[in-house]
Amino acid sequence: MSEATSRNQSPATDLIGSYFLRLWHQNSKTLGLKPEELEEEEELPTALDTVKSSGGFSFVGPDKLSVSYPNVNLHGHDVGVVQANRPAPSKRFLYYFEICVKNAGAKGQIAIGFTTSAFTLKRQPGWEANSCGYHGDDGLLYHGHGKGDAFGPTYTTGDTVGGGINYATQEFFFTKNGVLVGSVHKDIKGSVFPTVSVHSQSEEVAVNFGKEDFVFDLEAYEAEERAKQQMKIDNISISQDASHGIVRSYLQHYGYQETLNLFDIAGQSTIPPISLVPENGSKEEDMMYALNQRNILRQLIRYGEIDDTFSRLHEWYPQIVQDDTSTVCILLHCQKFIELVRVGKLEEAILYGRNEFAKFKESSELDDLVKDCAALLAYEQPLKSSFGYLLQESHRELVADAVNAMILSTNPNVKDATFCMHSNLERLIRQISACVLEKRSLNGDHGEAFHLSKILKSIKKV
Amino acid sequence: MSLFWIFIHHLAEVQTMATSKKLITKQEWEKKLADVKVRKEEMNKLVMNFLVTEGYVEAAEKFRLESGTEPDIDLATITDRMAVKKAVQSGNVVDAIEKVNDLNPEILDTNPQLFFHLQQQRLIELIRDGKVEEALEFAQEELAPRGEENQSFLEELERTVALLAFEDVTNCPVRDLLDISQRLKTASEVNAAILTSQSHEKDPKLPSLLKMLVWAQNQLDEKATYPRINDLSTAALEDPAV
Repeated sequence: MSEATSRNQSPATDLIGSYFLRLWHQNSKTLGLKPEELEEEEELPTALDTVKSSGGFSFVGPDKLSVSYPNVNLHGHDVGVVQANRPAPSKRFLYYFEICVKNAGAKGQIAIGFTTSAFTLKRQPGWEANSCGYHGDDGLLYHGHGKGDAFGPTYTTGDTVGGGINYATQEFFFTKNGVLVGSVHKDIKGSVFPTVSVHSQSEEVAVNFGKEDFVFDLEAYEAEERAKQQMKIDNISISQDASHGIVRSYLQHYGYQETLNLFDIAGQSTIPPISLVPENGSKEEDMMYALNQRNILRQLIRYGEIDDTFSRLHEWYPQIVQDDTSTVCILLHCQKFIELVRVGKLEEAILYGRNEFAKFKESSELDDLVKDCAALLAYEQPLKSSFGYLLQESHRELVADAVNAMILSTNPNVKDATFCMHSNLERLIRQISACVLEKRSLNGDHGEAFHLSKILKSIKKV
Repeated sequence: MSLFWIFIHHLAEVQTMATSKKLITKQEWEKKLADVKVRKEEMNKLVMNFLVTEGYVEAAEKFRLESGTEPDIDLATITDRMAVKKAVQSGNVVDAIEKVNDLNPEILDTNPQLFFHLQQQRLIELIRDGKVEEALEFAQEELAPRGEENQSFLEELERTVALLAFEDVTNCPVRDLLDISQRLKTASEVNAAILTSQSHEKDPKLPSLLKMLVWAQNQLDEKATYPRINDLSTAALEDPAV
């Protein structure tokens, strides 16, 4: 870079440029994926743990999904306790597993519950601190000491009993034969293991970690619990016109000018009319900055007219395209290449690429992206290749958004680069997500993350 | 554990809770915000959902062209829905009922409460226009039989007919029925019923997202002090109050 151009690159410009490159990079990895594939996977408990054992008082079957008590029990420390091979996953709304009592044996002293990795495997779950268990012989709930609390019915041979964790309410819950028995506050810190215990001769229990269908209708329960949480959220009151204001600023931010005009006209004719001319005049001025130019350039890029985009930019905002190796120019040059590939002008694309790509400065991030563009040439049907994301509408939109942000940054009143990059709506979404994640990490990693895609998924109800 | 120890234990917990609130500076928080991944198409969908559900048909049409976002409902149905809504809002209830039945006769057949509220609105409009005799006749013939079937309908009917008993309705206890907000209430009830009949959610997603923001911030307040967004219209981050 020559000295002259380096002086023209403001820090804001650099920030915006690298932001959109990062976004491209992200899209190249995730665009083909479905929303649910983006979620963090936690390993689930799948079997009983056979490494840790309670010294001969439990016998885990070869399928690692059943446990029995082989001996005659002598005293309280002869409990056969088995934990699952992995702790219950916690970055979610609910966790649940079930046991089926095959044989209640001599005394039916069977328990289901949750324990930590530090649990002594010779005691019933619930008897010790940091453990919780629902016991079959007395139907009591034991929660951290040897005295149980009235909880539910007893259970015996033929009964299916379930134990679960509701991370939203921080509660353990238990079921018997498909019916919810009750729930109790979960005060154990850290991760917990699904745990089963047997304590008298011939007792035998089979465990279902979800490989088989549960007897309890977990989906219905989850829907119910979610509805309860949603009700709390719905009861919050917000200003009635807040949504209108946010939509309006979104249209302004991205230069969807014609939509904005129609939205404003419609707002005036509703009953009662929604007047959204903000009190703060200078803010409104900044929001409307270069709206028409931004709109024209967006439409040009959306229709693949990259040459026209360049010439308009040279005319209106020469400072943006002055340095032909700036990020925004690179994005546009790549886009021109992509548009040539799209219409099948491969030779022209090759010539264009040879001419332009060589100018780019070396940076690993950029190299990858340029390689993605070039790779389109290798496929007879590039749209179906793994680089097909480049030919999707969303990539044009990304380039248009980058140009939009660069133009916003030419407004002398704007000092903050994030104002150019993010609409108000986006800042609100980021805030929700960050709050939910931060709360989760301060809460022992318990609970779900926030995904806009999940909220959108429920839009179409059939 | 004795009560005393439980008390001490509880006290200690309260103290740690009070002192252990984490402080997150603006700089740290901005880094967390930057790490969040937001997809543009999803924001576009959210905006489209708002335009469609709130009935901004022209804007939705244009937004589809300008952003390439497909609406989640046939845009033609919005026009019809808005015509019904407008009719109720401007007091043309007979017209509105006709239009709803043109759209889908099942909507009113399966929604006795909605049908009653529309008829009630019609009675209100008759009273507003000073058509006393017509109003009475309508109340007796159309509304009273429905009131017999349902106690809450009957109470509503009595409240509405009470309007006739006052010479100066602007100063009577049931004057709110003549308010514009009553029309809006009925209009949005019809609007919601039509959306539901089209297998579409009756409320846009955006307002509940904003509520979720308030909720998520309140939840985190219990654990940490961090830069909040207090003004939804500017989405500005405020410095954490220490």
